[in-house]
Amino acid sequence: MSIRRPELRCDGLRCDGSRGRALASAVYDPLVPLIGRPSHEIVFRRPDGDVTAGTFLADARHLAAGLPEATHVVNLCQDRYCFALAFAAGLLRGQVSLLSSDRSLDRLRGMAAAYPGVYALSDEPDVAGPLPQHPVARVAHPGSADLDCPAIRATQLAAVVFTSGSTGEPVAHRKPWGALVARSRDAGRRFRMGAGQPASIVGTVPAQHMYGFETTVLLPLHAPASSWCGPAFFPRDMRAALEAVPDRRILVTTPLQIRALLQAAAALPALDRVISATAPLYADLAAEAERRWRTEVHEIFGATEVGSIASRRTVAGEVWTAYPRVRLHASRTRTGEEGMLVTGPFAEPYPLSDLVERLDGVRFRLLGRRTDVVKLGGRRTSLAGLNHILTSIEGVSDGMFVAPDDLEARPTARLLAFVVAPGLTAQSVMAALRGRVDPVFLPRRVVQVDALPRNATGKLPEQALAALRARLDEG
Amino acid sequence: MTASAAGSLEPEIARLIVESLHLEMTEDEIDPDAPLFGEGLGLDSIDALELALSISRNYGLELKSDDERNHRIFASLRDLARHIEEFRTK
Repeated sequence: MSIRRPELRCDGLRCDGSRGRALASAVYDPLVPLIGRPSHEIVFRRPDGDVTAGTFLADARHLAAGLPEATHVVNLCQDRYCFALAFAAGLLRGQVSLLSSDRSLDRLRGMAAAYPGVYALSDEPDVAGPLPQHPVARVAHPGSADLDCPAIRATQLAAVVFTSGSTGEPVAHRKPWGALVARSRDAGRRFRMGAGQPASIVGTVPAQHMYGFETTVLLPLHAPASSWCGPAFFPRDMRAALEAVPDRRILVTTPLQIRALLQAAAALPALDRVISATAPLYADLAAEAERRWRTEVHEIFGATEVGSIASRRTVAGEVWTAYPRVRLHASRTRTGEEGMLVTGPFAEPYPLSDLVERLDGVRFRLLGRRTDVVKLGGRRTSLAGLNHILTSIEGVSDGMFVAPDDLEARPTARLLAFVVAPGLTAQSVMAALRGRVDPVFLPRRVVQVDALPRNATGKLPEQALAALRARLDEG
Repeated sequence: MTASAAGSLEPEIARLIVESLHLEMTEDEIDPDAPLFGEGLGLDSIDALELALSISRNYGLELKSDDERNHRIFASLRDLARHIEEFRTK
């Protein structure tokens, strides 16, 4: 295999490549501060007031002191500030934060079973299902001017983020503290947050989502930026949030929300830039946003497994450029397609699951997604995984989820499911899927069929599926 | 505002939901008291954004998140209709 040795250069120190990778992972384990900002600087902005690094640390220490003994903690906080506090407090206590966008009862039960002794931190009552719940309140503690900041080992596991696997079971992705911090510093540099006054980030993506976690929780702890912690979901929220924060505003959002904000048509305060991720941003939408808001629109490329790794200015072309210390290595997938191995400081090398054309060590073009993976609302799942869940419903003898071709481009597009279940109604199949499938992946329609057009090997040929869908459109 | 005023808007909002989200159902199939999200109609956050745009176009009312929790006004068709009735500008 033609995988070159990943670069092992780390902050302020170059690891000795000649002594191999083992040295770097086994020995190079520096202490990385919880917060890489001066204590008087603002890291979070809440509707009721700004929070300095010093106050945040005091708040986090207070919460950490009262946490129960455990190895893992599920962070269910909806408020961004509470989420950040819960994450930092867990880290201070050596507890690994489990982050899941899917908060269904089934998922909470799964985590309870997989991590014995796990509990949940939440800012809302009674949301943790089977898990013991510990409250996170928004009490501000006076911060000390002297930021005696605790440091954490770079290799300490800080978070585990989940995606849906091909068997329907969630897959855990491990995030060491050093990797998260290195990537945050890189993002700060990429988006020029150190130039002039600190950036004011207004994020519209949930903190449990890897993109939201990186850009709205970790970034302000390690790059010159503050992160808005009030509502920012609907166009009116976003506008109010942007008006509430000072200049050098950066809106961190999704294509759907950019579209909604453009349609809402109201004027916005000056935007330094807009950052988009979770779904492809079409060039015409990006151009419209740049023109209307007199700003630059950049996209981040990433995945839950690997985090944010590259960016591009959408109107400038289709080539992505890796973050400063991220490197792309040519590799082949198991099926022989051209692939790419992604490396970065303290991160495990990761084979990218998208189809890409690697141009060099830092630049690539995206060719497409593998057909098993579907993406909706910033979440990815495996169709094989959904099919597994569908066919394990009692009374369903066969079944299949189908994604429309324009799934990511059309806001109202959702999955469709074909089932062979003579004794069940479409409603009862839906009822069985609820609680087991993330709501965004629930089929908008369950279609009963006598049989699926499987071929001799049990596969469903594309043409047969297309025919099935065409029949549906007619009828 | 009287109860009947809000009641009269419900069928109209039900139609808006079905049409703007391309739901595979008719408006009278929406139970006015069932949750729009999760167990009831099973809508998600992308739907909420889409619906907010339609509501803003039709009623001149811009939805915003509750400070405590998003989407509370989407609790049910009845809640949504009541909210729109109260704050509509057209």
